[in-house]
Amino acid sequence: MPAKPMDLLQGTLDVLILRTLAAEPMHGYAVSRWIRERTGGTLAIEDAPLYKALHRLERAGCVEAEWGLSENNRRARYYRLTVRGRRRLKDEESAWRRYAAAVFKVLEPV
Amino acid sequence: MLPVVKGTLDVLVLKAVSGKPMHGFEVTRWLEDGSGGRLEVEDSALYQALYRLEERGLVEASWGVTDNNRRARYYAITKAGTRHLASESERLTEYAALLATILAMEPDATA
Amino acid sequence: MRRLFRHVRRSASDIRSELDEEMRFHIDARTEELIAGGSLPKEARAQAEREFGDMEDAREYIARMDRATEHARRRRWFMEEFTQDIVYAMRRLRASKLFAITTIVTLALGIGANTAIFSMVRGVLLRPLPFPEPEELYRVWSHNTNVGNPHVPVSSPDVEDWRAQRQKIADVGGYRFADGASGLDLTGSGDPERLSIVFVTTGFFGTLGMPPLLGRLPRDDELVRGGADHVVVLTHGFWQRRFGGSPDVVGTALTLNGEPYEVLGVMPPELRYPTDRADAFVPYSSIPDESIPHIRPVRILAAIARAGDGMTEEAVLAELNTIAGRLAQQYPENESYTRVTIEPLQRSITGSVRVGLLVLLGAVAFVLVLACVNIASLMLARATTRGREIATRVALGAGRARIVRQLLTESVVLSLIGGAAGVGLAYLIVNGLLGLSGDWLPRGAEVRLDAVVLLFATALSITTGLLFGMVPALRSTSANLQSTLREGGRGLAGTEGRRLRNGLVVVEVALALMLVAAAGLMTRSFVTLLRVDPGFQPERLLATVFTINTTRHPNPQYASLYARLLENVRAIPGVVSAGAVKDAPFRGEGERWGFRTPQMVLAVGQDEPSAMIMHVSDGYFRTIGARIIEGREFDATDRRDAPFVVVVNEALARQYFPGQPAAGESLVIDGENVPIIGVVGDIRQTAMEEPGRPTIYINNVQNTRVKVTMVTRTQGNPLTMAGPVQEAIRALDPDQTITSIFTYEDIVSEAVSQPRLLTVLLVSFGVLGLILGALGIYGVLAFTVSQHQREIGMRMALGAHPRAVQRMFVARGLGLAGVGIAIGLAAALALGRFLSGMLFGIEASDPLTFAAVTVILLAVAFLASWLPSRRAASVDPIMALRSD
Repeated sequence: MPAKPMDLLQGTLDVLILRTLAAEPMHGYAVSRWIRERTGGTLAIEDAPLYKALHRLERAGCVEAEWGLSENNRRARYYRLTVRGRRRLKDEESAWRRYAAAVFKVLEPV
Repeated sequence: MLPVVKGTLDVLVLKAVSGKPMHGFEVTRWLEDGSGGRLEVEDSALYQALYRLEERGLVEASWGVTDNNRRARYYAITKAGTRHLASESERLTEYAALLATILAMEPDATA
Repeated sequence: MRRLFRHVRRSASDIRSELDEEMRFHIDARTEELIAGGSLPKEARAQAEREFGDMEDAREYIARMDRATEHARRRRWFMEEFTQDIVYAMRRLRASKLFAITTIVTLALGIGANTAIFSMVRGVLLRPLPFPEPEELYRVWSHNTNVGNPHVPVSSPDVEDWRAQRQKIADVGGYRFADGASGLDLTGSGDPERLSIVFVTTGFFGTLGMPPLLGRLPRDDELVRGGADHVVVLTHGFWQRRFGGSPDVVGTALTLNGEPYEVLGVMPPELRYPTDRADAFVPYSSIPDESIPHIRPVRILAAIARAGDGMTEEAVLAELNTIAGRLAQQYPENESYTRVTIEPLQRSITGSVRVGLLVLLGAVAFVLVLACVNIASLMLARATTRGREIATRVALGAGRARIVRQLLTESVVLSLIGGAAGVGLAYLIVNGLLGLSGDWLPRGAEVRLDAVVLLFATALSITTGLLFGMVPALRSTSANLQSTLREGGRGLAGTEGRRLRNGLVVVEVALALMLVAAAGLMTRSFVTLLRVDPGFQPERLLATVFTINTTRHPNPQYASLYARLLENVRAIPGVVSAGAVKDAPFRGEGERWGFRTPQMVLAVGQDEPSAMIMHVSDGYFRTIGARIIEGREFDATDRRDAPFVVVVNEALARQYFPGQPAAGESLVIDGENVPIIGVVGDIRQTAMEEPGRPTIYINNVQNTRVKVTMVTRTQGNPLTMAGPVQEAIRALDPDQTITSIFTYEDIVSEAVSQPRLLTVLLVSFGVLGLILGALGIYGVLAFTVSQHQREIGMRMALGAHPRAVQRMFVARGLGLAGVGIAIGLAAALALGRFLSGMLFGIEASDPLTFAAVTVILLAVAFLASWLPSRRAASVDPIMALRSD
C-alpha cells in the first residue's frame, strides 16, 4: 500500500463530492473529512479545488447551498444534493464502474 | 465507448507497448481490443502521451516498417518504463477500485 | 413553506463576503484539528492555510461561479414572481367581477376606437405609396401667375415638353381621368360595357415605376400621335372581373369605341392611382382631336413627376419652373403660365382628410385618457378596502417594489384583456366606416389591421394599464397610508386621497369639455353646410349618364338625336319634366373658357378672365328647380342654326355686371359678341362648401358635347324610372351603353358625406366623454358620502338641515366641475385652430358654441352631483352616530 495519498484524477472530484453529499448535507470541511475517513487517507482532496468544485456544482444545479450552524455553533455553508445532482451521481457512478472495469481488463497482468 | 480519463492514459499506453514495440495505431487497436471495445483513445491525446513518455525516458522510439511496407515510428518500453508501469498500474487499479467502492456504497453508510 | 416574499438577492459584495466566511470556517476547523493533535496555534494556522492551496485563484473562480449562479437564480425568481402575479391578478379580477367587467368594457371601447383610427392614420397618412421610392413622386400643376391660380391642369404639349426638356428629373407624365366622363365602350366580347379609362401620356408609367403584373408597359412610341397608340393596359380588378384572371388576355385585342386595341399587359392590384375605379389605361394620344384638341390651351391633364436621385423638392420645382418659364417665352398661349406648383404625391392624395383624421386621433386619445382617469379613480377607491390586505403582505416581508409590481400586473392584465376585445371592436369599426357609401377616405383600400396596428394596440394596452394603475399602486403602498391604516385611520378615504381624487375629476371635466366643444363646433359646421342652398331641388331627380357614340351619330345627326332623346324621355309616363346637362353637380367641373365683357379693356399682358363652361339642354334649369333670376333659359327656339346665345349664373352677373341686369347684355367669346339671354341662380358644382363661381351655360344643341347626363324629375321614386329611361334611350340607339345612374339626392348626400362622418364620430366621442365625466363626478361624490356618513350624521344631529347638506354636496360637485370647465375652455380655445380646416361657416372660437357647451357641462355636473347629494341628505343621524 503506497503511503503517499493519491491525487485525484481529473473529473472524479465532482462525482466524489456528489457521492459524499448523498450521505447527508455537509459543509465543505465535513466533505473533506468524510472522504479522508472513507478512504483511510488514501484519497486526499485539496481544499481549494474542493471549494471550486462545490461552487461549480452549485452553478450547475447539482447541489444547493444554505447557511446553517455547525456542531460548534459557528455559521457554516451547508451543501445539499438536488434532484439533478442525484441523477448525475447515478449516471457518473455507472460510467465510472464501466471505465474501471475496462481499465482493469487492460492492466491485468498478462 | 468511454473516453480515457486524463492521467490514466500514460499508464495504459505503457501497458500496451510493454509486450512488444508498437506504433501509434497498433496501440489504439490494442487498447480497444483489450478493454473489450470499451476504451476510446483520441489520436492527438495518444501522440501527446507517447511524446510525454518518450521525454521521461519511459519509452524509446525508432523507425520501422509496418505490415504493409510503410515507414512508421515504433515505441518500445524501457527498463525505467517497466518499473514505472508496475507501480503506476498498481496505483491506478487501487484508485479505481477505491472510487468504485465508495460510489457503490449504500447511501446511508455514514458511520 | 413556499417563501412568497423571501427571495433574498445577493450583491457582488455579499458574494465575496460569504465566500470569505466559508473559507475562513474551513481554515479555522483545520487549525483546531491540528491544535487538538498537538500543534502550536500559530503553526497550526500556518499549516492549515498552506494546505488550503491557492486562495486567490479559488476566490476569483468561486466569485465568478457564484455571480453566474445568482443571475440564473434571479431570472428564475422573476419568472416565478411574474407568473404568480398574473395568477393572482386573475383571481382578484374574478373576485370583483363587476369592477373587472366595467373596466374591461371601458377599455375595449377606448383602446378599440384608438386602434381603429390609428389603423386609418397608418393606412392613409403613414404608409408610403406602393411605388418604388415613393418620396420622389410629385403632383404637378401649371401656375397661372397672371390671375394667380396656382393649381391649373396641364396641357399635353406642355407635359411632352417638360418631359423632353428635363435634366435631373427622372421622369414626367400626365393622365386624364374624369369619373364618368373618360370612358370607352367595350364591345365585341360579351356584354357591351362602358369602361372607365385613365388616358395616359408618355412618362406616366415610367414616373410611377410600378412594373406590370403580366405582359409589358407601353413603349414611348406607343404613346404618341401617329405611333402604334391603339394599345391598352388593364387594371387588376377589371382583369379579374371581365377575364377571370386568365393570362391569355395579353396579346389579344379589345374593341374600344369600335376600334381594336392590343392588350399589352395587366397591372398589379396595388396600383390604385389615380383611382381604384379605373378599368384600363389607354394612350391619351389616341383621343382624336375632334373630341379633345391636343393643343396647348386645352389644359385638362393631371401631371406627375419623379425626382432624380437626391433631388430636393426645391430642386424639382426649380427645374420645372425653368422649363415652364422657357415655354412661356416661346409660346404666346403659355404667356401667363410661367411657373408650376408641385406637391409630394402622397400629400396631394391624402391632404383633404389629413386634418380630419388627426383631429379624430386626438379626440379618441382624449377619450382613452378620460377612461383611464375614471378607472384610476375607481381603483383608488378600491385601494382602501385592499389596504389591509396590502398591509398584511408588507408585514410578511414583501418589499414595496414587489407589491407595486403586483398591482401594476393586475392593471396591465386588465388592460390587455380590454385591448384584445378592443382589437375585435376596431375590426368592426374599421369595416363599418369603410363600408359607408362614397369614397370618403382616399387610400381607404390600404387600411387594415396589420402587424403594426396590432403592435400599436398591444403597446397602447400596456401603457394604458400602467397609466391608470401607477397612481393607485403607488398610493396604496405609500408609507403614510400604511401607518394610517395601522392606527385605524381611513387611509385613502381621508383628506390625502381626496385631493388626488378631486384633481382627477377636474382633469376629466376639462377633457370632457374639450371633446364636447369639438363635437359642438363640428355639429354647427355640419348643420350650416346642410342648410346651404345647392341651387336646385334635389328631390325625385333621376340622372342617367351616357356618352353618345359619334361614329354612329356624327354631327349633324347628333343634334336631332339629342332632341329626340329629350322628347322620348319627356313622353315617359311618370316623368314630370326632363332636361340634360354635361356634368351633374359634384360630378364634373365642366370646361374653362376665357371671355370678356364688351366694355372690358385689358392691359398689355393681362389675361382674359375665365369662367366655368357647362353645356345644358333646353328646360334643364326648370327640371332641376334652379331659379331663373332674369330673362329666360334655353328653349325650343334656340335651334342649331339660330344665333349663338348663352345663359350666365348670378356670380358672373354680379361680378361683371354689378348693379345692372345682365340679361340683354353680351359677352365677347373668341372675338364674337354673344348675347346673354338669362341669369340663373348659382348652382353648387365643385363641392357643397364652394360657393358658385362665374359660370357660362351653353346650349348643347348649338355647341355639342357627347357626354350627356339626362335628368328627369319623376312623380314617384326616381329609381323606378331608371328602367323606362334606359329603354327610351335604347329605343333610339340599341347599342347605347349607360355609364351610371344615380339620383340628385344621392349626390347631395355624398357631397357632405365626409363632414357628416366626422360629425357623427366627434359627437359620439363627445357623448362618451360627457358620460365618463359625469361618472367621474358622481363616483367621487358618492364615495365621499359613503365614507363620511358619520360626519354627515353628526352635522345633522347638531341641527344642520338636510337641504343644506344637499346643497353643500351639489356645490362641491359644481365647484370641481367649474374648475375643470375653466381649464377645458382655455385648452379648447388654444387648440381650436387645429380644427379650423374642417369647419364650414363658423370660427373655431365660436362663442355661442362654447357658451352652449359650458351650459351642457354644468347641467350634467349638476345632475351628477345631485344624485349622491340626495343620499347624503337622507342619512339618518341617529343611525349614523350609532354605527361605529
